[in-house]
Amino acid sequence: MLNIINQIFEIEKKSKDQDISIFERNFERIHHELEELGYSVNNPIGKLYDSRDTSLETNLIGNSSKPIITKVLKPAIFQNDGSGNILLQKGIVIAE
Amino acid sequence: MGNINFGIDLGTTNSGISKFADGKVQIFKNPVGFSDTLPSIVAYKKGRILIGDKARELLKSAHLDVFSSFKRKMGTEHLYSVADTEEQKSPVELSAMILKELQSFIQDEKPQSIVITIPASFDTVQSNATKKAGLLAGFQQVVLLQEPIAACLAYANFQTQDQSEEKNWLVYDFGGGTFDVALVKINERELKITDHEGNNFLGGVDLDHLVIEHLFVPKIEEVLNEELLFKKLMSKENSFYAKLYYELLYKAEEIKKELSVKETINTELELNDGDHYIDFEISRNDFNRVIAPKVDETITLIKKLLEENQKSASDIERIILVGGTTYIPYIREHLKEVFGIRVDHSIDPSTAVMVGAAYFAGTKEEDTQISKTETYLNSNHKESQNSNKIDLKLIYEVNTQDDEELLVGSVSGDFDGYYRITRKDGGFDTGLMSFKNKFSEFVKILPKQINQFSLTVFDQNQNVVFEQNDISINHGIYNISGQPLPNDICLEVDDNFGSTYLERIFKKNDILPLKKTIYKTTSKNFNKEANDKLIINILEGKNATLPASNMSIGYIEINSKDLPINLLKGMDIELKFSMSESRDLSVSVYISSVDFEKNEVFNPHTKHINKDKFQEDIDKVIDEIETELSYVQNVDEADPEDIAVLVKFKNIKDELFRIKFDLIEVQEDEQTERIFQLDERKRRALQEYDKIVRFRDLIYEIEEYKNSKTDLESQLEEATQRQKEQFQKIIKDEKIFLESNEKLLIKRKTKELDKLHSEIYYQKDEAYASLYYYYKYRDIDEYKDQKKAVKLFDAGDKAMENNNFKEVKYVIQGLYDLLKVKPKNPFEDTDGNLGLK
Repeated sequence: MLNIINQIFEIEKKSKDQDISIFERNFERIHHELEELGYSVNNPIGKLYDSRDTSLETNLIGNSSKPIITKVLKPAIFQNDGSGNILLQKGIVIAE
Repeated sequence: MGNINFGIDLGTTNSGISKFADGKVQIFKNPVGFSDTLPSIVAYKKGRILIGDKARELLKSAHLDVFSSFKRKMGTEHLYSVADTEEQKSPVELSAMILKELQSFIQDEKPQSIVITIPASFDTVQSNATKKAGLLAGFQQVVLLQEPIAACLAYANFQTQDQSEEKNWLVYDFGGGTFDVALVKINERELKITDHEGNNFLGGVDLDHLVIEHLFVPKIEEVLNEELLFKKLMSKENSFYAKLYYELLYKAEEIKKELSVKETINTELELNDGDHYIDFEISRNDFNRVIAPKVDETITLIKKLLEENQKSASDIERIILVGGTTYIPYIREHLKEVFGIRVDHSIDPSTAVMVGAAYFAGTKEEDTQISKTETYLNSNHKESQNSNKIDLKLIYEVNTQDDEELLVGSVSGDFDGYYRITRKDGGFDTGLMSFKNKFSEFVKILPKQINQFSLTVFDQNQNVVFEQNDISINHGIYNISGQPLPNDICLEVDDNFGSTYLERIFKKNDILPLKKTIYKTTSKNFNKEANDKLIINILEGKNATLPASNMSIGYIEINSKDLPINLLKGMDIELKFSMSESRDLSVSVYISSVDFEKNEVFNPHTKHINKDKFQEDIDKVIDEIETELSYVQNVDEADPEDIAVLVKFKNIKDELFRIKFDLIEVQEDEQTERIFQLDERKRRALQEYDKIVRFRDLIYEIEEYKNSKTDLESQLEEATQRQKEQFQKIIKDEKIFLESNEKLLIKRKTKELDKLHSEIYYQKDEAYASLYYYYKYRDIDEYKDQKKAVKLFDAGDKAMENNNFKEVKYVIQGLYDLLKVKPKNPFEDTDGNLGLK
């Protein structure tokens, strides 16, 4: 399942990069179905780097005092197993 | 007296902890991030101490206070200067921090003694330094074990070994950053390292660099028109190259993993934030060719080791593999090809050393004078919480709408130490944060759920003095500033039995504003010519009650004439609902198959009542009451309780008739006070009706379900594996749906059981005997061609006499085809009235 979510994430990213908006509803639907299955996908693009956020593995570039996440290679994926959320996949990001 | 049982692999790059219990080894996962291993890295940043993954992040940046590979300096006088705290730390102290961090992986025990592994190359001073680190970390007894021996133990315990003969094993340890090979002698009595070789600067990351240099860079240079790109990447000349380096490193790791299981893969590189995509194929051969020189370096070291010990490959019984890099098939194949001996990779190479350490710890007795390993009886550490050594008061908001929430702690009296806050899902960890008397931390909150945090406070020596594991912060569940919904908001949908039921969109007491998207399917065909209607009816009231007994707050009718083309049964309908704080309801309907969209906003003060739907709701209940009343043949003989119910039914029916007549007088499309008064009367009457029948019907449906289940269970022996699984799937969550108060849900489950039952029953040809009579004793006029039917009866009778049930099946098929009106499939879903389900 993680591989499928990662592929969906990449497709969504590519269509955003290429300004393709016709898939928006389809992605919304896919995210809805994933949530129904207990998965939540976190795309932290544009957020401030936080060294306490252990759901992300960050590659830090430069010496900025407030690095911003500029690239998400893999999203963080949580799954609700009925008793609560559990981190299933660490996100891999670049912050600068 | 017990055994040590706990083992630690204190590695140069990664470390891990494991336990031997009941003949098996358990590897503890990091509660933060859930990996099996912990990077052996410590970082200091603005009063915070980070250990493991987060420290590794800083390693790649220009941050000063990040310390790694300190294992290489064990036993030396080297001191690391920490600019942040103006302290100096020895390799022993840093190693002790890693060991302490590993102890936090264990939730319900606190080991007092430990086995720690050391490289074969460690001399006495280095070994003693490791022991010292163990004691500094709080262990009372530390036993050292050489890494290659640990690996041999892991392999030896996994397989049944013939120990009568003396054997030599080669332990080939290719990790992320280092390579070691050891020659180990194994006999009945002992495992002994004869000699070893290694390279501290050869690891998996070097292979990744080769992939980048030879497989990726030439392709990128072509597209970007660049030269000397690899050099620029490695020196991270500027942020563009630094960023590209990390992306390529990530890709190289990915393809390394993929090529371990596939022969060829397609990889894609994204350049300049999506300006270019390069897509190309890489085969395992390409990869092998590129990494071969580095693998050959390891081969040279093995040959040197054998030569120096006057051994040839034939003296070696097997090569055992340790370290994550040995997952690469080429390494396994190449070793076998060069040395012609067995290459054993039967256990996970990345945890082999810690598994072996635990096996050893499972045989090693704990010293008698040390206190027993502490065991917490329950996972919440209640005992430990009760034994908190400081008085700490914690202040925080239990409910929040923000993505961060302030947590303040204050200790009574003078205190100087560290605190650490972690979130249970593994996605948040403050690391060790120094504080005096008081601390405050904005903790990160995951949306729309209960966030569970743990707080641990340590003294200056990093010993635990306070623990609290039950800090819960709810996000978005309650909000005192928002308006709660007074009733459920539901959507009326078709069931499979020709009736409708309510599906909850928003729950009573949910806080406004609210938003939800749900997906439904069409429950009938919509013909453009036929004036078919798709009805979206949103009601306010009580979930699980009769839809018509609730108040309609939003009503959308989509006529098939307005659709661009015919809409078929089973198509998706996307429905977006949002309700503002002032309770305006916005509904958006989108049907993707015909690309049709409709949006409407309903204001709570302007009600819309559809006269046709109003009429249908009443008629339906009148019909139902009439059916109820028709069951009573003789009122005089009925039970007094039943009579009371009958009287109620009669009164409701009369009231519904009165409403029906009054409705006729209301003008078409008239939205006057009068229709609202009628609607109010209708709802009251239907609520009363629902009150009488709902629980009675519910009990009836539960009984039906139980009967169907018992009947099916009696047939289950004859079911196929797939059917048995299907049965388990239907009854899964039985308790929940039987207690749901939703009769239609239970009815659907009963139907699924009956359908499965019928499938199992008709698997046997004999089952068709009774079905044959069902066809035979029908009125002959029901068949289109009676002569043909009679002929089929003759053939059927004969087949029955001879117990030829296969023939009976054919006869039944023939009779079915002849029937003028085909019998209805009891399991077929009825078309819906509203058009969505």
